[in-house]
Amino acid sequence: MTVTSQRVVTTRSARASAHIGRHAQTIAIAVVLVALLIFFAFTADRFATTGNLFNLMRQIAPTLIVATAMTFVIGTAGIDLSVGSTVALSGSLLAIVLQNGWDPTVALIAIIALGALIGFVNGWFSSYQHIPPFIVTLAMLSIMRGTALRATEGYSTPIDGDLWIVQIGQGRIAGVPIPAILAVVVALVGWLVLTRTPFGRYVIGLGSNGESLRRTGVNTRKVGLAVYVLTGAAAAVAGVLIATRLSSGSSNAGSGFELEVITAVVLGGTSLFGGRASMLGTILGALTLGVIANGLVLLHVSPFYVQIVQGGILLLAIFANSKVWAKFGAIRK
Amino acid sequence: MTDQKAGRVDRVVMRDIRKRYGMVDALRGVTLRVGPGEVVGLVGDNAAGKSTLMKVLAGAVVPDSGEIVFDGRTVSFATPKDARELGIEMVYQDLALCDDIDVAGNLFLGREPRKAGGMLLDVRKMHADARRHLDALNIRIPLTDIPVGGLSGGQRQAVAIARAVTFGPKLLILDEPTAALAVAEVETVLELIKTVSAQGVSVILITHRLQDLFRVCDRLCVMYEGTLRADLDARSTSLERLVSEIVAHDTEEKEGRRR
Repeated sequence: MTVTSQRVVTTRSARASAHIGRHAQTIAIAVVLVALLIFFAFTADRFATTGNLFNLMRQIAPTLIVATAMTFVIGTAGIDLSVGSTVALSGSLLAIVLQNGWDPTVALIAIIALGALIGFVNGWFSSYQHIPPFIVTLAMLSIMRGTALRATEGYSTPIDGDLWIVQIGQGRIAGVPIPAILAVVVALVGWLVLTRTPFGRYVIGLGSNGESLRRTGVNTRKVGLAVYVLTGAAAAVAGVLIATRLSSGSSNAGSGFELEVITAVVLGGTSLFGGRASMLGTILGALTLGVIANGLVLLHVSPFYVQIVQGGILLLAIFANSKVWAKFGAIRK
Repeated sequence: MTDQKAGRVDRVVMRDIRKRYGMVDALRGVTLRVGPGEVVGLVGDNAAGKSTLMKVLAGAVVPDSGEIVFDGRTVSFATPKDARELGIEMVYQDLALCDDIDVAGNLFLGREPRKAGGMLLDVRKMHADARRHLDALNIRIPLTDIPVGGLSGGQRQAVAIARAVTFGPKLLILDEPTAALAVAEVETVLELIKTVSAQGVSVILITHRLQDLFRVCDRLCVMYEGTLRADLDARSTSLERLVSEIVAHDTEEKEGRRR
């Protein structure tokens, strides 16, 4: 009996400190988000209206969808810098093939398949050939942006507003923008996969100690490749969302998008060194970035500041991640 | 004869195992046998061939010649998987745990209990099974849902051994399990070895901590320059005798006399 009671006592304190240590940054970002919501609700007139909040959700939908996939990539200690260029390429090609009379459904499937293929190439080089993903995806960033520019010759291509596909970016279900619904569904599925499936477990294991995972018989190279297919496909979906929202495909879309996505993920407490990933944190991170951008615009602050603020937040988040929160938990990194 | 007692088949017999790497004779005809539930300490100086011999047994190294008989059947291993399927588990020196994954997750890494047709992890069953396994091995880790990165070295080593044991092995090979552990933690691991062998699992223990060997081993096998130099009964052997066997003291004297 004494063993049992001892166990219960250590259980409570150890579990509490372990949980706080692991989730310190997620808790912190939740606090920051609530503070920002209160701040903007009192300072910006139209911030706390249903219309604006739906608009905000629609704005961050592409970021949240790609950030969900990026959480898996960063969880394996990888990085995907090519998502912004993939957004541009998929949006541009969607507009071009629709102009050439493709069926919208076929076009949609083809574009997402293309995104997955780009991710496959990223994953093959980084996971099977052991080339640092930073280099692979940086090269892919350049290649895909160039391909988008070449395909469009730098012009925007309009998308016919009568096609059903435009509803993906502009439509509403019961008043809620479809991109917002899509983003929430993707994030929830991402959370389920990360925390409740063997694949999610292997993603964390790969980032934590890949050799250990390999010795247990898991095909770690396949897992390492799959996460890039996820970001590639997610970036293609984001490209479709942006192009259909604007009714135009542009090769300049999604510039700096990768930075925004990575900021959202890191802000949520996912470690750039892998092994620690929080999908809830990613959702909160993406919301925080969206609230800042939206709130600053409503306060009539120059939109140029938004980028400066986002970069500053990324730096702060990484600093907090590696220096401050690490002290709370027993986990190194 | 290899069989000590009538009716008792050896768990594993390695006969005349040879392995050569270029100019280096790593193993020069080693014969080693381990009985069921027996704990054999494998000792020897660095480069004596202990690790190579164990890698042969675990399927990680294919020998040039020699025979392995496992439970009375002649076997040959091309990969570690072949050895594992027969029930030979090796716990490597560098632990091989994922620090960020919790205790239960590490115990079942790569073969998690699943539900919903294999789609989802059965987290509840995983923690319940982990608790059962740890209790059965008398491993005192109060929580199965904290990351192993937060555990002590001894607890981590215990988790690593427990993981190997959950595969239901017949033979467990432990490579330096007590290196870099605090004194109290060494006790934990030695107790664990006793518990495991009491359940009928044969254990081969590689260690440089000679005092540990006398605590848990039935037999001590000393390797020297790729050969098995001595096969001693742990109960009747002194530490001095063991040390002199390891450094091959009297051999050198004899050789000196011959010259």
